[in-house]
Parts: sequence; C-alpha cells; structure tokens
Amino acid sequence: MIYPLLLLAVVATQDTSAGKQVYTKWCAGCHGVDGKGDGEGARHMIPPPRDFTGNALYQIRSTPSGQLPTDADLLRSIDEGLPGTAMPAWKTRLSDRQRRDVLAYIKTFSPYFADTTQRPQPVVFGSAPGGGSVADALRVGRQFYDSIGCRKCHGDLGRGDGPSAPTLKDDAGHPIFAADLHENWRFNGGGTAEDIYHRLRTGLDGTPMPSFSDLIEQKFLTDEQLWRVAQYVRSLSPKEPPAVRDVIHAPLVTKALPHAPDDSAWTSVDGYWFPLVGQVIRKERWFAPAVTGVWVKAVHTADSIALRVVWDDRSQSPDTAWLAHVGRVLNTLDSDDSTREQPAPWPDQLAVQFPVAIPSGMERPYFLMGSPGAPVYQWRWSSSSRTAAVAGLARGIDRFDPQAGSGPGVRVVYDHGQWRLTFTRALASADTASQLPFRTGRAIPVAFFAWDGSNGEHGTRMAISTWYFLALDEPVPARVFISPVLAMVLTLGLGMLVVWRAQQKTSYRRQQ
Amino acid sequence: MRAYLKHPFWQAVLLLVLAYLVIVFVIPVLPGSAMVPKSVVLQYMATVLVGILIWVSDDEARWTLFKEPLHEVLIQPRLKAVRTALLAVVTLMVGCLTYSQVKASVAAPPNLRSIHPAPPSQITFRGKTIALVGLENPLRRSGDMAAHLAEGRRIYYQNCVPCHGDHLDGQGHFASGFNPLPANFQDNGTIAQLTESFVFWRVAKGGPGLPREGTPWNSAMPAWEEFLTEDEIWSVVLFLYDQTGWKPRTWEVSAEGSK
Ligand code: HEC
Ligand code: HEC
Ligand code: HEC
Repeated sequence: MIYPLLLLAVVATQDTSAGKQVYTKWCAGCHGVDGKGDGEGARHMIPPPRDFTGNALYQIRSTPSGQLPTDADLLRSIDEGLPGTAMPAWKTRLSDRQRRDVLAYIKTFSPYFADTTQRPQPVVFGSAPGGGSVADALRVGRQFYDSIGCRKCHGDLGRGDGPSAPTLKDDAGHPIFAADLHENWRFNGGGTAEDIYHRLRTGLDGTPMPSFSDLIEQKFLTDEQLWRVAQYVRSLSPKEPPAVRDVIHAPLVTKALPHAPDDSAWTSVDGYWFPLVGQVIRKERWFAPAVTGVWVKAVHTADSIALRVVWDDRSQSPDTAWLAHVGRVLNTLDSDDSTREQPAPWPDQLAVQFPVAIPSGMERPYFLMGSPGAPVYQWRWSSSSRTAAVAGLARGIDRFDPQAGSGPGVRVVYDHGQWRLTFTRALASADTASQLPFRTGRAIPVAFFAWDGSNGEHGTRMAISTWYFLALDEPVPARVFISPVLAMVLTLGLGMLVVWRAQQKTSYRRQQ
Repeated sequence: MRAYLKHPFWQAVLLLVLAYLVIVFVIPVLPGSAMVPKSVVLQYMATVLVGILIWVSDDEARWTLFKEPLHEVLIQPRLKAVRTALLAVVTLMVGCLTYSQVKASVAAPPNLRSIHPAPPSQITFRGKTIALVGLENPLRRSGDMAAHLAEGRRIYYQNCVPCHGDHLDGQGHFASGFNPLPANFQDNGTIAQLTESFVFWRVAKGGPGLPREGTPWNSAMPAWEEFLTEDEIWSVVLFLYDQTGWKPRTWEVSAEGSK
C-alpha cells in the first residue's frame, strides 16, 4: 500500500502544470476541474463526460477488459475524439506538446496510473484473416453474432433494439443505448472492421458492452470467427458515412404511386440522408435526441406525391418497458423546467414541414416551426394513431393548429428498430391559403422533426433539422438530347473543315 | 527523348501535365490546405495555359516550332489515325459538356447572406430599452473579473457548446445539423471584428432578431433573451473574448481586433 502512495507523491510533484493549464482551459468545462466528469456542461449531454478519478474506467483501449489504457490509447481518444458523443477531436486544435501534456495530467486523477506494477499490456491483435469469399465471411459472422449474444442488446438486425436494450445503463447508472450497428460513423472507437474487432476483444469498460476475448480462450469460437463477426458488423453500415445533399429529387413515375413504405418501386429511387440534432433553441430544450437522422425518398405522378421517411428507433413507443430508461435520461440531464418531469409512455412522432406557399425569393418562414406571422404547413404522424396523420399550420414551436380531415395518406411499418413511413397527397390543394400546393420544377423548402417517446421526447423535446429542399422533377424535354447532338455535329464539321483547309494549303504549296 | 524535351510543343505539354499533378496531388498534402475543388482546378489550369501560350508565342522561331506538331497532325497522311481519334475525342467532349449544361436540374436557391448586417441603434431587452451605440461591456468596469469569467464559462458550457463547440470554433456536436453553420469565434472574421455591443445584440436577439439580409429564418442561433439575464449575457461575451484571446473592437478606434 505504501509503495503506490509513494509513487503517487512522486508523480504529484512532477511538473504537470503545463498539462493542467491545457486541461483547465479546454477540458474542465465538461470533465470537471477535479476530473470527476462533473464540469459545468456535464448535465447537458448523454453520454456524460468521462470521470477520470477512481477506477479510471476507459472505453477505448487496446488492453484486456479491466485494465488501464496505454498512453497510445488515451492519445487516440484525445486526437480523434469519441464520435457519436460530445467528446471533440483535439488533433487539429491542440499542439502535439499540449496533447501529450494534458494526457499526462488526466492520468494524475486516478491513483491506478501511479502504480507502475500495473503496466497496461496491449492485447496482441492479429490482422484480418484472408481467404474465403466475402459472402462466406459474412455468413460465419452472422452465425456467431447470433450465437454469442450480440442480438440480446443490439437486436436481430443490429439497430440496438434487442430485448435487453431498455435495461442498459453504464456503471455510474447513466442511460446508455446499445450502439446502432448501421451507423458506424458514430462508433466511439472508430468504424472500420479492425476498430470493431479491437472493441470486441477488449470490451468498452464501464459500459454493458462486454469483451469477447474469454470466449476465444474457452475455445467457444476462434479468433478468425470473431474477426468475421467484426466484418459482419461493418457490412451493416454504408461504405462511406452518408453525405448530406441539399435537394431531394422526386422523379416522375408513370406507374401507380407507391403507397406502402416497402413497395418495390422505392428500390430504384435515390435516397437522401438528413442529420437531426437536439432542439436546443427554445424552451424546453432537449440535449439528448435519440433519432440521429432520417433517410428520405420521394416520387410523384402527374397529380400526386409520395414521400417516404425511414429512421432508426430502438423502441416502438409507447412502451412501458422503457419507462426506467426515461427515468435515467431525465435524471442525467438538467432541464429548463424548475420541476422535474415524471417519465410517461410517450409515443414516437414525426413531422415533415413545408412553407404554406413555395417562396419566390430567398425568404421563407422560420425553420423551427414558423412564427405567428409566418406559419408553416406540417404533416404530423404519431405512433399512437399509427395509420392517420394530420396536416396543419404551426405558428411557432408551441402552437400547432390541425386542419380537420385534410391529413395526407399515411402507411407505416415498424421493423426491427426502424420506422418506415410514407405520406401521400394530391399535388393540388383545395385550400391554397393553408395547404401547400406542390408544383414541379421548383425548390420547395422542407424540414424534418422526430421524437422518440421511449427516450423521454415529446413537445419541444425533439430532434430537428434546418431547411432542405424537395424538387419534383419534370420530364426531360427533348432539347436536352437535341442540343448535344447539334453541338457535336457542328464541332465535327468545323474540325473536318480545318483539316481539309490545312491539307489543301499544303498540297497547293507543294505543287508550286 | 532528348529531342522531345527540347521541343517547345512537348515542353508545353509537359508543363501542363506537371501543373495539373501539382494542383491536384501536391497542394492537398501541404499542411493547412485542402482538396482543390474542380472549378478552381479548371481556373488554375486555364491560367497556366495562357502563361504557356504567352511564353511560346513570345519568340517567332519558338512559335513556328511550337505549331509544327499541330500542323503535322492536321496534314500528315501517316498520322491519319491520330487525327481521327483527336477529332472524335473533341467532338465527344463537346457533346458531354453541352449535355451537362442543358440538363436542367432544380438546385437549392443560392444562400446570399450578410453575416454582419447593421445592428439596430437600440433594442428592447425584457422590456428595458438598451441603446447599442457607444455601449461598452459594463462588467469590464465593475466587480471581480475572475468571477465574471467563471460565470461566463458556466453559461457557455451549459448553453453554447453543442453548437459553437468546446474549442469555440463552431464545431460543436450538433453543429453539422445547421445551415448556416454556427459562428467560429476562433476565426478572425467573427467576434474579432465586432464591438461587444454588437455581440450583445446578437446573443440577446439571436437568429430571429436579424434583419432580412441576415436570413433570420435560417439561423439556429437562439435568442438568449428567453434564457439569460443582461449580466449573464455580458459575462458570456467576456468569456468569448477571454477564451479566444481576441480583443473586442472599440468605439473610438475602429481598428481590427488583434490576437
Ligand atoms: C464538450 C465536452 C467535452 C470536452 C470539452 C472534452 N471532453 Fe473528453 N469526453 C467527453 C465525453 C462526453 C466523453 C465520454 C464519451 C462516452 O462515454 O462515450 C469523454 C471521454 C473522454 C475520454 C475517455 C475515452 C475513453 O476511452 O473512455 C478521454 C481520455 C477524454 N475525454 C479526454 C479529454 C481531454 C484531454 C479533453 C480536453 C483537451 C476533453 N476530453 C474535453 C466530453 C468532453
Ligand atoms: C449486454 C449488452 C451488449 C452485448 C451482449 C453486446 N453489446 Fe455491443 N454495445 C453495447 C452497448 C451498451 C454499447 C454502447 C457503448 C457506448 O456507447 O459507449 C455497445 C457498443 C458496441 C459497438 C460500438 C463500439 C464503439 O466503438 O462505440 C459495437 C461495434 C458493438 N457494440 C458490437 C457488438 C457485437 C458484435 C456484440 C456481440 C459479439 C455485442 N456488441 C454485444 C451493449 C452490448
Ligand atoms: C442551436 C445552435 C446555437 C447555439 C446553442 C448557440 N448559437 Fe450562436 N450561432 C449559431 C449559429 C448557427 C450562428 C450563425 C448564424 C447567425 O449569425 O445567426 C451563430 C452566431 C452567433 C454569434 C454571431 C457571430 C458573428 O460573427 O456575428 C454570436 C456572438 C453567438 N452566436 C454567440 C452565442 C452564444 C454566446 C451562445 C450561448 C449563450 C450561442 N451563440 C449559442 C448557433 C447557435
């Protein structure tokens, strides 16, 4: 006991003052002056900032479960940040020197680092096994994904909707979601198959996500098979994180409008990703939104439009199984109310917003649900009345006036942690003063709002987007094909003329 | 090979290729630079081409020599294959270019936005009229500076971090959801150029308080009047300057902020 204490004294007298300066200026606002994870901002984010004191539990390690991280591990977290959380990447923001200094300083918060008998030893990770077809690798990966219990937390299709999902909390009792394995750009430790494999070998200490190294030691599966699991998980996310494009192009379809979200007609239509973030603008604000974004597709016929919105949501709310989770969320966050809310089984909701009329200039209503003077036209759907949606005018975040009997058609499917919903409506509208008439060939502003009831979201507590655009594409006019042909004929003719002239001139000169 | 390298035509071609390689592959790896966008590459290449043409046409002999291979291609019977290929390629390129030009596609309307529109001369803050002209941060002259800064820091971390970010560079964890992006206070184009009274107005009235030219309907900047008192706003303004090291612009000297 005396030995570690002595060492502690040595470390404490070491000059960590440069690191302390960096820490106090840039880290303490979240991680707290004393490293307890209780900085001024701490109660405005989930997951909350890491507590560096006590057991020093770190998620992103190359060392076995239960051990301290190496300096390289810590430096990686500081450099790259923890995607999907509030922890920023510091590589470009602090100098090499500053990052090393602050690393040394955060280690002084826990006595465990002072004890050099506990030198963290990295796991020896092999490299990805080669050979075999991709399909075989993924099949083996899927098989072990099922048999070693990933689906218990992450769900059958990996959207974080497993049977244990509502019960999960970290070691400090904070709420935690089993990661949505379809969004690898939000994985705390990086999204490559290699990163995933490392997390599977070491676990994320302090969270329910276990290490699977012991299963290899117990010969339950081989190292190669665990790699296959990592490769399978990687295959669930797109190759690249989705890029945000401003304009949703809705092609003209000649066949029937696809009313059902799983209609095969949707497969050939381009999909657009829009990130959603917390509503932190008006009271009551919401700092921990659960819906990270929506995938949108749209098509139109000569007289109607269909808009399909797809988003991942771990729970089919209202669901009382998630009430304890809601309680944990409300306990972890400070709220704008003076009284703390009581958890209730709120439904999931989605709103799609348009202006009341297509603007001719730049000006449009306020993106966050309009204002009393300039309302917005919205479609609102709630999981408590699944097959009906209402249309209406929002005049600010807290005022929505539904228009009876004018809601768009709606069809919805909930499938393994994902809502898929289509809205359908006639392009023309009976009441042009309060219902947007859709027109082709124009950039129509559109915005999206989503609520996950089982995360405590309702009212102004939601995930929001800014204005994007929807364009109902017109049939391609013939001139689009004629002009290039004309231009080519002209160019070719001109080219041949030049050649001919040059040859004429030369032969003329030669003759002379 | 030697003969080719001495010939002005091939020198010109080589220069063009080199310039292209430098612009596309070398510039992005230089510290502090990014990928050069396509349209800019085109501009650079056009400039280089004009430079090269000026150089070759500068000298009569060089110009004649330069034109020679071009002329050869046009007339030599043995170069018939090259001639045909060249004509075909140029024709196809023109076709593709025209197609991409006439293929009308609805684009997002241009977002023309004045970042720092003229502020009003006075505002009503929670029922109280505050004249902005000549207004200084009152906290600079009263009370304990360290306490004001600690207060500003608390307010910043509890309210501004998700958008403006811990590093005050506009890259908070919610920033990517907004357009326009949250202001980058580390950049010399935001608070470094502004008086504290301007910043007070922006914090108090937020996006909705902007005049039309500031596109108030798009800005996610909250109107903090709803959440913060006058003193709280002044203390967070103090914190912005202290944490970034910029000096506010003063009313007497309209000098730029300095770091
Ligand atoms: C805006 C708030 C914020 C700031 C500022 C911040 N962090 Fe963090 N940090 C977090 C959060 C949140 C987590 C926990 C994420 C999680 O649990 O998944 C975290 C986690 C960490 C971890 C743990 C990684 C692991 O493996 O578990 C380290 C190390 C860390 N931060 C270092 C720093 C350093 C050093 C600084 C200052 C240069 C800093 N942080 C600034 C929010 C912040
Ligand atoms: C007991 C529940 C549980 C089980 C079983 C479980 N996980 Fe997790 N997993 C979690 C939780 C909770 C997180 C989120 C940790 C966080 O956000 O910090 C997570 C995170 C992850 C991540 C993201 C890592 C990162 O860098 O953020 C991956 C990938 C993952 N799990 C894969 C798996 C695979 C594959 C299995 C099966 C071999 C599995 N998990 C089994 C609960 C579990
Ligand atoms: C919801 C996101 C969000 C939050 C939270 C937020 N801002 Fe902003 N802020 C923005 C955006 C977006 C802009 C740029 C658009 C604009 O100028 O309105 C901006 C602009 C500003 C500007 C104007 C800078 C300039 O050059 O004109 C100041 C000053 C500012 N914010 C201060 C703050 C302060 C102080 C806080 C916390 C009390 C805060 N902001 C919180 C989003 C936010």
